[in-house]
Amino acid sequence: MAEVAAEDPVVETIQLTKIYQNRHIALNDVSLRLERGCVLGLLGANGAGKTTLLRLIIGLHRPTAGSARVFGEDMTPNSAALRRRIGYIPTNPRFPKGMTPITYLDYMAKLFGLPSDVRKPRMGMLLRAVDLLGAGGTQIDTFSNGMTARLAVATSLINDPDLLIWDEPTHGLDPEARRSMLDLIKGLSKEKTLIVSSHNLGDIDEVCNHAAVLSHGQLIYSGPLHDLKTRMRRNHYEIDVDGDQKSVTRALATIKTLGDVQHASLEHRRITLRLQEDAVASSSLAQVFQTLSDGKLTLVGIRSVGQQTEEAYLDLVEKEEQRGFTRIYRQAA
Amino acid sequence: MASDPEPAQVSYLPWLPYWAVMEADFIQVLRSWVYRSWVLVVALTAIGLFTYRWGLHHEAKIIQPASHVIIHLMRGMMVGSVALVGVIAAGAIAAERGSLADSILSRGISRHQYYLGKWHGRLLAIMLGHALLGAIAITGARFVLHEDVTVEGGAAAVAMSGAMLAVVVSLGVMMSALFARPLAAAAALWVLLYAAGVVFGALPHSVPTPEWVLQKLPYVLKGEFTREMLVQVGMYAGGACIASAVVGMFLFSRKDI
Repeated sequence: MAEVAAEDPVVETIQLTKIYQNRHIALNDVSLRLERGCVLGLLGANGAGKTTLLRLIIGLHRPTAGSARVFGEDMTPNSAALRRRIGYIPTNPRFPKGMTPITYLDYMAKLFGLPSDVRKPRMGMLLRAVDLLGAGGTQIDTFSNGMTARLAVATSLINDPDLLIWDEPTHGLDPEARRSMLDLIKGLSKEKTLIVSSHNLGDIDEVCNHAAVLSHGQLIYSGPLHDLKTRMRRNHYEIDVDGDQKSVTRALATIKTLGDVQHASLEHRRITLRLQEDAVASSSLAQVFQTLSDGKLTLVGIRSVGQQTEEAYLDLVEKEEQRGFTRIYRQAA
Repeated sequence: MASDPEPAQVSYLPWLPYWAVMEADFIQVLRSWVYRSWVLVVALTAIGLFTYRWGLHHEAKIIQPASHVIIHLMRGMMVGSVALVGVIAAGAIAAERGSLADSILSRGISRHQYYLGKWHGRLLAIMLGHALLGAIAITGARFVLHEDVTVEGGAAAVAMSGAMLAVVVSLGVMMSALFARPLAAAAALWVLLYAAGVVFGALPHSVPTPEWVLQKLPYVLKGEFTREMLVQVGMYAGGACIASAVVGMFLFSRKDI
């Protein structure tokens, strides 16, 4: 299989815009770059443009403006050679009637132009891997959601692709199947580049190392998942203390007077603390700890909140909404 | 320690996707109830007509020339067939829109190959059915009725009527690529065929329109035809088929699926 040139990203969208029939702007000016080995989690609410973006990348849709480049070449509906290197799972995979996993996989492998001596052994290997060997001759129509998902996975791997694009792969799966799917993604991420779209932020958090957030067709974040988590709601802490209530209340009053503290509140024995955006957390927290120490309070625990992907995502979308007309200007990275 | 062997380079077969789509579509058409209905209706009509004409000859001693009976049958077949063949062709691509098309067109196949595979799959199935039914009708007529049909004439008549059907199939597949729903594609095909009928009426008599072909068929069946006539019909029908395929492919490759 041909390699990607070192400088070429696996996927690159340049000002990608999709307007359907001059009525609906599904995707607006999306510029995204995905390097080799990345596992990109595509986040966004329903109708945010996730599936549209994936369909543009795979060449099922044509951009209204801008371009989608895959392996350094423009993707078009006729880019069969590029799609040979991509494994795709649509949101709700559907299968032709009357086919069995063996006939279906054989058909799919033929669609990739794989010769018989390659596709037959690979078919058997994949059916075994997704635990469908026993059901190889059963009609797909009778399959459960989990079995269909496993077959879709096998189909997306039949061409041994370099890039995997999976649109909501855990959708409709029971917890056991979902766990297997996430483990599979983790395994595949060691040797392939992946784009995984999901509503389940926990899934994204677990398997992805990069994230792209879409809101109303606009890309509002793209970069390492870690950065997304740390840049959002940073300097937001919960401190559990032990001591008499009066001392806790006194300590809270003192903490509120500290220069970098934006907000401090008390609920039972838990102090919720939010520092200024530009505050140096270590020195501010040192002052807080000193105050607790002065009040003879015991520090039971401290937790940085807002570091979870879900919090970060919601905060990002909320901030984007609040920007109002200033959205005209691009947000600084 | 021996190093891992280099992974073998896969040599892709560039036209295998086309063959796969054509093969799958051919089988799908043969299994469809519309196709089976078409074959059944034509076969039953032929049996009914031959039995009636044979009865007339047997009981009333009226001579029933095979060429006349077949031309009656072919006229009926052409009109009836166009309706069902139109439905079969119009469902070629439109019926697979949505998730199913996703799972096919997201693989290593170009839109052009997909279109060609679909077009040729439908064309092959319809032509095969037409040739088979035509051969049975002509053979039956030669045995049951007054034989004034030659083998060459019968083959030429089947080929000429088949050429007309091929145009209908090609236009149907083109409409199927342009419309998202099979019903809309079939309706558009009918509008196009009616419009074409009006245009054909204004064309000079030398142009082999469907009506011209139907008028010539009784003579063709008796063997009264020339090679040039066949070539002319083939050229016009082939031209129309290729033109519709080019337009269909061009527009389909620009459509969102």
